[in-house]
Amino acid sequence: MTDSALATNPAPVAAAAAVAPKLIVRDLNFYYGGFQALKSISMDIPEKQVTAIIGPSGCGKSTLLRIFNRIYAIYPKQEAKGSIELDGENVLDPGYSLNRLRSKVGMVFQKPVPFPMTIFENVAYGIRHHEKLSKADMEGRVEQAMRSAALWDEVKDKLKQNALGLSGGQQQRLCIARAIALRPEVLLLDEPTSALDPIATSRIEQLVEELKSQFTIVIVTHNMQQAARVSDLTAFMYLGELIEFDQTEKIFTKPGKKQTEDYITGRFG
Amino acid sequence: MNTGTDHIIKSYDSELTRLTGEIVRMGELAVTQLEAAIDVLERRDERAARRVVGNDDAIDQLEQEIGHDVVRLLALRAPMASDLRNVYAALRIASDIERIGDYAANVAKRSIPLSMVAPVAPVGGLHQLATLAAAEVRQVLVAYRDRDAERAYQVWKDDVVLDEAYTGYFRQLLTYMMEDPRNITPCTHLLFMAKNIERIGDHATNIAENVWFQVTGEPLDKQRSKRDLTSSPETTKLGE
Amino acid sequence: MSALYLRRRITNAVAMSLSMLATLVGLAFLAWILWETLRQGIGALDLKLFTKVTAYGEDGGLLNSMVGSLIINFIGIGLATPIGVLAGTWLAEYANRTRLGESIRFLNDILLSAPSIVMGLFVYTIIVLPSTTLTHGSTTFSGFAGGVALALIALPVIVRTTDEMLRLVPSTLREAALSLGVPQWKLTLQILIRAARSGIITGVLLALARISGETAPLLFTAFGNNYMAFNPMDKMSSLPQIIYQYANDPGDAMHALAWAGAFVVTMFVLLLSLASRLILSRNKVSHD
Repeated sequence: MTDSALATNPAPVAAAAAVAPKLIVRDLNFYYGGFQALKSISMDIPEKQVTAIIGPSGCGKSTLLRIFNRIYAIYPKQEAKGSIELDGENVLDPGYSLNRLRSKVGMVFQKPVPFPMTIFENVAYGIRHHEKLSKADMEGRVEQAMRSAALWDEVKDKLKQNALGLSGGQQQRLCIARAIALRPEVLLLDEPTSALDPIATSRIEQLVEELKSQFTIVIVTHNMQQAARVSDLTAFMYLGELIEFDQTEKIFTKPGKKQTEDYITGRFG
Repeated sequence: MNTGTDHIIKSYDSELTRLTGEIVRMGELAVTQLEAAIDVLERRDERAARRVVGNDDAIDQLEQEIGHDVVRLLALRAPMASDLRNVYAALRIASDIERIGDYAANVAKRSIPLSMVAPVAPVGGLHQLATLAAAEVRQVLVAYRDRDAERAYQVWKDDVVLDEAYTGYFRQLLTYMMEDPRNITPCTHLLFMAKNIERIGDHATNIAENVWFQVTGEPLDKQRSKRDLTSSPETTKLGE
Repeated sequence: MSALYLRRRITNAVAMSLSMLATLVGLAFLAWILWETLRQGIGALDLKLFTKVTAYGEDGGLLNSMVGSLIINFIGIGLATPIGVLAGTWLAEYANRTRLGESIRFLNDILLSAPSIVMGLFVYTIIVLPSTTLTHGSTTFSGFAGGVALALIALPVIVRTTDEMLRLVPSTLREAALSLGVPQWKLTLQILIRAARSGIITGVLLALARISGETAPLLFTAFGNNYMAFNPMDKMSSLPQIIYQYANDPGDAMHALAWAGAFVVTMFVLLLSLASRLILSRNKVSHD
């Protein structure tokens, strides 16, 4: 059980529980043009744990995730204010290079999006951009990433085939392999199973559990049961605010806030 | 925690309400059984006693239904947070009530051999114990129905009164047995019956603990009232 | 209730009949055109068509026009493709949702529907006339000028299709690549163009089909030539132009040659259309 401070002082203290925080979010505000999508978010995301972000559609959970690797910056009129410290450096600082940030923070999206190339090239592509490897090293690296993503045995005989021929679940694991091939420190998963069937979903969930020994994982999900199954900590967001952030067990058995309770138990009107 | 608002899925609400209703009905049945058992003891009515023993099946039946409903709710609704505690508490409370029913039936069963020997004086003391126990169970059922943690806590604390009454009655029976060895057989029966009623009180405190957990999400803080209890062995069986 | 139902059924039947009728009218004319071209064209098909030049008149063939058409079209598509693909890429990837991008997209649409004779006149003004002054008065119609005029017609088509095809690529693919730290130019060249490749190729083929039937822009530019010309700086004959010329001739033999030319052009366009369909359907698996 966590200490009593958690119950009364939700956000930043929660993660201080056992492990050092990997990402420290402080007073984060986000704007889509004139619309404020995130309101003063502060939270500590612990290292090598799975943090789930849940909440109804439009609550800002995906927006928050998309700030961690600044992928939002490719769209005009979107602006983040505040700070997100990764290993003590503010990644929102314009001086923090995108190249460096994205090699440290990998992302997997809602729909599996393999690149229009071979299965092997899909994983090798990202590595090639960041490192110069010999052919043998590259093959080893790709195999390792695919093994970590529990995909190797299924594709090792068809590495030269087009990745679009894989099943949805395999494509998503390929996307995970592609992301972890860069050896990031943080892995962002944006509703990674919402387009998959239950079996493929279970595989991804099992994978998340295996990967958390190596990566700090942040997962956004619509599926509360999924958050309960895979995460160590759960954040509940509503209308751009972080309502509650605590141990997953606590959120799902004894949430501290009425709004969390209402959402978790299906009472949201 | 009763959040006031209803679930988006209406049938979920009605299923939870049904579960609460079943528990309350089962509890009332058990209290009625206890009162009937004392009644047949005082009236020395062997046939009525057998009827009371037979009625225990109805309680067992209800417990099974509740078990079935709980499994169904867990499987189909995947309850969370307060709903989860609600369902979990219902399952545990049902098993406590089932035990209360068993004890009431036991009391009725022992009244049969008692009705076959000459009446002994201290039967009246048992009535007083049973009244205390029945009141305790009724109170805790109200607390359950109203999701009233404070009332449940009160019941839990007040069980000490029943325990003390039991201790007093125990001493009384000992005196009777020492006085005249012919009293030993009926008094032993009475002793067991008294013990059964005292155990009913313990189950009522179990229910109170579950109500407390259901409402607050935390175990009833036992440190909180240790000072209220005497340290005699009879009064410290709360953990059972 | 049943009266309402009946009325709906009648309305439905009427609307259905009218739209089917409209389709049939359109198809009937198309079939008629194809049938006439086939009938008259096949009748006039002859080996000399592919061996003799137009200088022989009725006894000649269309060899120089076919070669001219190929050269002019090649110049046109060769000029339009790189410019069009790059411009379309810029519109979709760099200027998307900007005011400048929207304005250029709008202008491109106007260009798309501009009359082709205007393109011919424009090229006549900017290429043919100035070079005439260079050559001291002798007119300098050329296959190259014709190619430029056709390029101006193909360009908006290619810009439009490239733009559309790239915008059809799901934005998550861009995000996925960018989230690996890949820069925008690499993303565009190595992933987006590849993902939209079949659509872009189809656009180019359709543009080619479009320009290979153009007559008007060639009249003031390539002009025509009764002899074989390989040098793009020479006057050059082309199939549409010779069809126009022969069709205006009173002689039946000339008409037959015109039909044969029309048949060849139609077949060429048909093959291009089939090829583009084939390319599109073969790559349909991607990004549904």
